[in-house]
Amino acid sequence: MTQLTEITVALAGNPNCGKSSLFNALTGSHQKVGNFSGVTIEKYEGYVDFKGYRIRFVDLPGTYSLTAYSPEELVTRHYLAMEHPDIVVNVIEGPNLERNLLLTTQLMEMEVELLVALNMYDEVEAQGMEIDVKQLQQLLGCHIIPTSAKARQGLDRLLDHIVRVYSGEIQIRKNKLAFRPEIEDAVKAVQAEIRHEPALDGRKYRWMALKLLENDREIYREVHQSPVWLKIERILQQAMETTGKLYQADPEILITEDRHALIRGAMEECVRMPEARKRSLTDYIDAVVLNRIIGLPVFFGVVWLIFHMTFTLGTPLMDALDQLFTSIALWVSPLLTNEMLRSVIVDGVIAGVGGVLVFLPNIILLFIGLSFLEASGYMARAAFVVDKVMHRFGLHGKSFIPMITGFGCSIPAIMATRTLKSPSDRLATIMIIPFMSCGAKLPVYVLLAGAFFPPAVAANVMFGIYMLGVLLGLLTALLLKSTILEKESEPFVMELPPYRWPTLSSVLFQSRVKAMMYLRKAGTVILLAVLLIWTASNFPKSAAIERDLALETARIEATVLDEEAKALELTAVENRASAAQLEYSMAGRTGKLIEPVIRPLGFDWRIGIALVTGLAAKEVVVSTMGTIYSLGDVDEEDTELKNILKHDPAFDQATALSLMVFVLLYIPCVAAIGVMKKEVGSWRPVLLYSSYALTVAWVFSFITYNVARLIL
Amino acid sequence: MRLSELQVGDKAEVTGLEVEGSVRRRLLDMGLISGTRFKVLRVAPLGDPVEIFFKGMYLSLRKSEAEGVLVSKQGRIGDSLPMGRQLYRRRKQGGVL
Repeated sequence: MTQLTEITVALAGNPNCGKSSLFNALTGSHQKVGNFSGVTIEKYEGYVDFKGYRIRFVDLPGTYSLTAYSPEELVTRHYLAMEHPDIVVNVIEGPNLERNLLLTTQLMEMEVELLVALNMYDEVEAQGMEIDVKQLQQLLGCHIIPTSAKARQGLDRLLDHIVRVYSGEIQIRKNKLAFRPEIEDAVKAVQAEIRHEPALDGRKYRWMALKLLENDREIYREVHQSPVWLKIERILQQAMETTGKLYQADPEILITEDRHALIRGAMEECVRMPEARKRSLTDYIDAVVLNRIIGLPVFFGVVWLIFHMTFTLGTPLMDALDQLFTSIALWVSPLLTNEMLRSVIVDGVIAGVGGVLVFLPNIILLFIGLSFLEASGYMARAAFVVDKVMHRFGLHGKSFIPMITGFGCSIPAIMATRTLKSPSDRLATIMIIPFMSCGAKLPVYVLLAGAFFPPAVAANVMFGIYMLGVLLGLLTALLLKSTILEKESEPFVMELPPYRWPTLSSVLFQSRVKAMMYLRKAGTVILLAVLLIWTASNFPKSAAIERDLALETARIEATVLDEEAKALELTAVENRASAAQLEYSMAGRTGKLIEPVIRPLGFDWRIGIALVTGLAAKEVVVSTMGTIYSLGDVDEEDTELKNILKHDPAFDQATALSLMVFVLLYIPCVAAIGVMKKEVGSWRPVLLYSSYALTVAWVFSFITYNVARLIL
Repeated sequence: MRLSELQVGDKAEVTGLEVEGSVRRRLLDMGLISGTRFKVLRVAPLGDPVEIFFKGMYLSLRKSEAEGVLVSKQGRIGDSLPMGRQLYRRRKQGGVL
């Protein structure tokens, strides 16, 4: 087979313009997901073979404009200016043609090979809107192809145009956007200066000049080092004075106004809107959903629904996966005769892989729900409804849903913060998610509250713990925002996109992407950490303990005759031996090592061990305590463990409360840490967060312990 | 008058922006330039942000951001003034287009 000629096509467009659906419809299953370098913005690539060409699509992030304010805009700009795609397809939301054309004008300014896909054309026709495509084509100076990703219309025509434009078969007279004379003069003058700068050779001079007039930070950073900057600065100054005198406005505003004026003119000439605007479906839905009285109840209903779908549906699946791995372990262990090897494979590898995989159902379900909310248009409304509260704590309305998700599991919650555009908002939200008490911490509370408080009080204690988490989380956000993080969050100027029924394929695609992302990147970190903790709690092995165990076993075998009594005694001996073994291991030594530090919180070294192994997963705290108290494998409902704890002199109500607070606040499990590292991109903030969480946990446990001892 | 002072149901026209930096850029990009006519649709259940409608777009913005948008109030609920066409007429008269 001969090598196909490759055409690289970038897809650019506003958020909610149906770009992703079009991308999916065009590329089918030939897709891969990566990241744009240096930022956590997903980069979707896919290809389709058409008429002897391999057309490679790059789906750029959705933007309204090409300024330098948001990471999405910078990525798009950088890609267009530096990677030189052969063709840029500007996807336009047909029914909102006017607003979408702003980006089109800016793409024209960048002098890229431009094609316009007039998407959702079926909706345009249904609304009774008439667009004179030919006329618009001439005005804008680029080919316009009506498409509909949902109805799969116009896709072949679009591909055909891409090929023909690429091969030069069809051409169209390019149109240059002309600004008012004062701006044009300044642009020409700046352009002439940039031309003299060899370092900027081959760049788009006119575009750069225009951007400089718009006070663009990125281009300024590039140019202000150059010797020509002095002259340019003078020209810009002059332009500012001229326009100020003539229009009482600076060039930045005038340039935008001229773009809008061109669009306005194009709209007048080429588009006939239906006579009377009917109340749209969106108007009707919003009258209910954003209603002053029932808006909040509706919002909480939706959150409740998503939460329940994720965790009520997800938990049985999670348990099933857990079961599956247990049976695999049971099936494998008799096959391995070497005890050491068996322990490595069964308790290390299988348990480790299982520990990573059990989160998958939750992640997939949550993202099916979240992408549905996002694509349908409700996500923006949710942010609109709760923004006031969140803003008070320095967060964005959109932070709420990831936060709530944190009650189920931190991992999907941290991944869900990608809907936040400002890095500072996002970081703050990620850092407070672990304070939302996740599902794995529940067994610890059930055990402790159940053992030390009467049932009626136990529920209140648990509720109190949850509330403490929320409160400290919000205060943490406030603290972060008023100290190390940039205070200025994303400006809340947000479109509430018209409601649309999302396409199934794009919803499923999104959750598949998230699942793969979790498995590939986080999976490795998590597996490694689980193995590390396994090693720590199994090594070094004490020969003495093993010898004693063998001796005891032999003695019981020889002396005790009754079978039932023999079995009981043997288990007791084995449990005692594993407790001793755990104490002897690295985890046990760490527990003893940190005892002086946790003593003021009412914890002895045994709790220390449980806290160390709890890093693997929070519910492990319970099973470790079972091992320490020589009970073998237990869960939180185990009455024997509850009884032992109740009668242990080292344990009282104050200790129990203090331990619950500590488990709530200290570092989340390694899986969450792994995902956190992946999402923030470097270890520094993660380490910073970890030391903060430990400090907060210590301080609040200390307070809890001492106050509780005074009162109880 | 400022956008933040308008009542639900009011129609108004943007006359200028009094903000700096990223907020201003965002407002401009969304099309809130002098001459844009819009209608205040509603206020969020907790009293902030507000939602306005213009040129087929539903836009929400915090009161703090709305304070930077200078407006002049024209028309009432249910009048037949078209929204968003003033700018074009003015440009046409001025002959810039």
